[in-house]
Amino acid sequence: MKNLLAWLLWFVISAVIVGAFWYAPLAQGFLGESSRILFFHVPMAWVSFVAFIAAGVWSLLFLFRGRRPKDDRAAAAAVELGLLFGVLATITGALWARIMWGAYWNWDPRQTSIIICLLFYAAYLALRSAVEDGDARARLSASYAVLGLAVAPFLFFIMPRIMFSLHPQSVINAQGKIEVESRMVQVLLVGSAGFTALFFWIHNLRCRLQALSDRKSAL
Amino acid sequence: MRNASTWAAEATSVFVKEWRCEFRTRYALNTLALFAFTTLVVVSVSLGPLGVSRAHGTAVLPVLLWVILLFSVAAGLPRSFVQEEETGTAMALRLAATPSALFCGKLAYGLTLVLALEAMLTPVYVAMTNLKVVSPGLLAGVLAAGGYGLAAGSTLVAAIIAQARSKGTLFSVLAFPVLLPLLLLSVELTRLAVAGSPPGVALPQLLLYDASVTVAGLMLFPAVWNP
Amino acid sequence: MVAPGRGPPGQVGRFRGMRGIFLHVLHVTESRLQFQDIRRRFGRLAVLTGVSGAVGPGGMLLVTGPNGSGKSTLLRCLSGLLAPDGGTIEYRETNGGPGAPLDAAERRQRVGMVSPDLAFYAELTVEENLAFFAGLRRVPPDRGLAVLGRLGLPLDRLAGALSSGMRQRLRWAWALLHSPRLLLLDEPFQNFDAPGERTARELLAEHLAGGGLAVVANPSALDFDHAERLDLGR
Repeated sequence: MKNLLAWLLWFVISAVIVGAFWYAPLAQGFLGESSRILFFHVPMAWVSFVAFIAAGVWSLLFLFRGRRPKDDRAAAAAVELGLLFGVLATITGALWARIMWGAYWNWDPRQTSIIICLLFYAAYLALRSAVEDGDARARLSASYAVLGLAVAPFLFFIMPRIMFSLHPQSVINAQGKIEVESRMVQVLLVGSAGFTALFFWIHNLRCRLQALSDRKSAL
Repeated sequence: MRNASTWAAEATSVFVKEWRCEFRTRYALNTLALFAFTTLVVVSVSLGPLGVSRAHGTAVLPVLLWVILLFSVAAGLPRSFVQEEETGTAMALRLAATPSALFCGKLAYGLTLVLALEAMLTPVYVAMTNLKVVSPGLLAGVLAAGGYGLAAGSTLVAAIIAQARSKGTLFSVLAFPVLLPLLLLSVELTRLAVAGSPPGVALPQLLLYDASVTVAGLMLFPAVWNP
Repeated sequence: MVAPGRGPPGQVGRFRGMRGIFLHVLHVTESRLQFQDIRRRFGRLAVLTGVSGAVGPGGMLLVTGPNGSGKSTLLRCLSGLLAPDGGTIEYRETNGGPGAPLDAAERRQRVGMVSPDLAFYAELTVEENLAFFAGLRRVPPDRGLAVLGRLGLPLDRLAGALSSGMRQRLRWAWALLHSPRLLLLDEPFQNFDAPGERTARELLAEHLAGGGLAVVANPSALDFDHAERLDLGR
């Protein structure tokens, strides 16, 4: 069954790659083929935010449902993968911004949000590496993750409002204004689903690997 | 059984103890004040004798005020928890104190520290940078609400890093993402106070942030403090 | 003697012979400590590998063993300051019949602990330190001050200016501040001079005579009568 799911995932991701380059049309108002990067950038950014929420939820479960080590492992793995996907999303986004708007970085609300996410991830991992005792490491990093979860909604609601109110002439996020054709929507949705599945699959592998590593060091 | 009045008495005795120790060493007050005023002088000198145009001033000066506050707090506030761990008094506290009362006592101490700093810094800042504030009432409100958020967030993060290594740098790394919404809102409201505009939706958002961090702190502190 | 510390007084239970009547008349809660198969590791180092023991009212458990055998770790687990990786700790304060064991948070606040790691606020005087912790424990500081009176310690001395022997006296006063039923003593006579140690032994004997429990690690002289022993030696 697991094998079947893995093959299915491979198929979906391949379909997304093919669809991004051959099936979906080019978006209006974009330079050359540059809009194709969106089919990878958007799902990865989405997954990065999903990882943030997932880490927060697993941390809550760890703290208030019995301090199970597997919840702590799951939260840490989610942050690691969130960082990976977040960095990839930031790079692809910056490349695209260079092509579209002439500069790699504009402090556009979405760019800012992803950077804050990455800062949280980096802080979480820095905290984990600064605590030696396994129990203390787990509960301190879980507490920080829940604190991040409590504070995150403010970032995602305040940021766009402030930026649009203070800089009305700033480059409006062009994605909000694209007339999205149905084919593009299809590839985007399948891509998002596929990347989310990819995230959880890698996450599962990472958790199992860490569990084995923990058991080995306890021998 | 515990009841409200003795819980409050416990939190109060923590608060009193913090200030009593602080008055005998003056460490936090000195650190905060020294850092704040040194940075203020740097800012003021850099802006130069020519001063800064009004438009630029309204845009930049509120930001600098909050940056000074943020880094002063980062320099002086975490000590309240870090020192407990380093001197070894944390063990006695863990055995004797109720976690929620301890957190509130420390939070009250941090808040009064931040408010004292703001009271000292803001008039001097306004004078030295020639900042004309149209709504001083709103400014005072922002300083109070924003100061509370600074204290609340910093107290919880201080409790977290006190049990880790490399506490100094780790505090800034952990606290900055958490405090960022607070900073953005406070800066926006300060700009509105300077310009004399109504606070709009930012003020309820700031108060909501303060409430969220307080609730999160009360919920998480027992897990942070105890094994 | 009045029922000590905070929390509800012990429930009325069955009499158990003369001792039970004695305790019941004095309204003193009867306590019992039991721990089973305690395990704790730090990284790769397994410090405790399945330690068990029990203490009844008026009883004392002597924990012996070479350095590094886990005596302090065991005491910290019993006090609730450290969560063991495995095993159970049951501590009850009830009068007679079965009651629910206290969880780690309740244990932390009910025990009296003396440990070389215990430190106090250097900027506060001895009296201010005791008053602060008495306020936290919501008891008057009288008991602690009385103990200090017996041991001998100037109340207006800053805690940072105390010698090691004087610090140890303060630790004893702090431990007995809330008249706990369970005493956990880690190197209790460390740095004491002869009079200090004598007084401390008297305090311990009085505690046990009143139905209290004690777990003692690293005693300086192993000459306690009627004490159970638990040897953690490898």
